[in-house]
Amino acid sequence: MEVPLPLIWLVKIVVIFGGLVSTAALMSLAERKVSAWMQYRIGPNRVGPFGLLQPLADGVKFIFKEELIPAGANKFMFRLAPALSAAPAMLTMAVIPIGGTVVLGEYSIPLSIADVDIGVLFLLAFSGLSIYGVILGGWASNSKYSLLGGLRASAQMISYELTLILTILAVVALEGTLNLRTISENQQHVGEWNIWTQPLAFVLFTITMFAETNRHPFDFAECEPELVGGFHTEYSAMRFALYFLGEYCAMTVLSCLNATLFLGGPSVPFWPEAPWFVGIAAFCLKAGFFLFLFLWVRWSLPRMRFDQLMRLGWKVFLPLALANLLITGGFIAFGAH
Amino acid sequence: MVIVQRKELTLAERLYLPEIFRGLSITFRKFFEKPITRQYPEEPLPTDEVTRGQPRLVVKDDGNIACVSCGMCEIACPAYAITIDGGETDRQIEREPKRFEIDMLRCILCGFCEEACPKDAIFMSNELELADYTRRGLIYDMEKLKRPKSALQPRIDYVYKINKRWRRTQA
Repeated sequence: MEVPLPLIWLVKIVVIFGGLVSTAALMSLAERKVSAWMQYRIGPNRVGPFGLLQPLADGVKFIFKEELIPAGANKFMFRLAPALSAAPAMLTMAVIPIGGTVVLGEYSIPLSIADVDIGVLFLLAFSGLSIYGVILGGWASNSKYSLLGGLRASAQMISYELTLILTILAVVALEGTLNLRTISENQQHVGEWNIWTQPLAFVLFTITMFAETNRHPFDFAECEPELVGGFHTEYSAMRFALYFLGEYCAMTVLSCLNATLFLGGPSVPFWPEAPWFVGIAAFCLKAGFFLFLFLWVRWSLPRMRFDQLMRLGWKVFLPLALANLLITGGFIAFGAH
Repeated sequence: MVIVQRKELTLAERLYLPEIFRGLSITFRKFFEKPITRQYPEEPLPTDEVTRGQPRLVVKDDGNIACVSCGMCEIACPAYAITIDGGETDRQIEREPKRFEIDMLRCILCGFCEEACPKDAIFMSNELELADYTRRGLIYDMEKLKRPKSALQPRIDYVYKINKRWRRTQA
């Protein structure tokens, strides 16, 4: 492999992080648009064509809003928590391969910021950190609703992280590598996609994805009617927006991860020799489907009860994921493929 | 005490996933239906002669207002929104209002002034929008209240239709 130019690195970082943050911003618009269309409404359409500049207007508004910190709050933690929530979600994007390898002259550029051998581990470790932002924010606010929201979120994310890791582990065992680039390159043809060998893991991962990002129908951390917003009740202005940025970034990263692990990442069905930009388009399409699924489910299903959530997590998903891993291990050990 | 007989759930219902997909398919179908939103300032509400909007003064075809400042509407107004100062005029009717003000913040759009007026000088228009930066700006003087008779004609005809039983004169 060629030694990459620092400039190429810089361009990749700017493009991928910029893409991630603008996806998150557009998701805030898409959320409102999708909910509007599902309820026979029009949605925001005043700022820019079709309301496309709405996220920009919202951002400006958030920046100029007054920042309130509750009297009894732990000021240091209160200020730190939103960043702790948003930063890990953005960092994890670094290991996601959004495309194959581009050959420019004498340089061959892999289309991901960091091509690390423990990509899956890195991603899981950092997405596990984002829970600190939620629980610290809830605790530092010195408000009972926030604390309850933070506690619920931590209980939920710890329960569902197990399932998430176990489903990913089945894929990792099958591929024999933790490198996300290798995993996506092993699925060049549509028949090689992991969704065919790991259908149960795919379903479990997709559902767990919702719990992991605190989205409907598992959004106990926020829970507007019961907790008045949950962990971010006391937050205002840009710090509030930062929580949402983190949430949308986490959604985007998990959608990308789902596409990479199960749907072959940038591979185009029935066209293995597709040029790199078609691969990126295919990747965006796959990840976009999951992002749409997030919104679609949110505006269709009611929130579950907390005991239902825990029962589902520990009594249904965990045994299923364990059984799936066991069966996968059995097939690998006895050389079925 | 009420004993509720709960329906035994089938396996498909207990699995929960098929029902989720059913729910999702419903919302997906709604996705493509036409929105029912009315874009208000661009698409105003439909009004017709039955709409009882803000009262307006009729300007006759010869350019004079029909009002003779008799004060009937002022007395009929339950909200005390109307203020009239009468004065003399060289026209044949001899009296006309020098000041005719309706405080739109007090007006309750009841239509009593329209009923009370013996000269068909005041009618409820189809104008409903009421916004200003000051309270003073919403006390409408004569210039703001004047409307040509043609603009109010549908309402005038409608009032004549429903009042045919006791009205003898024709406008």
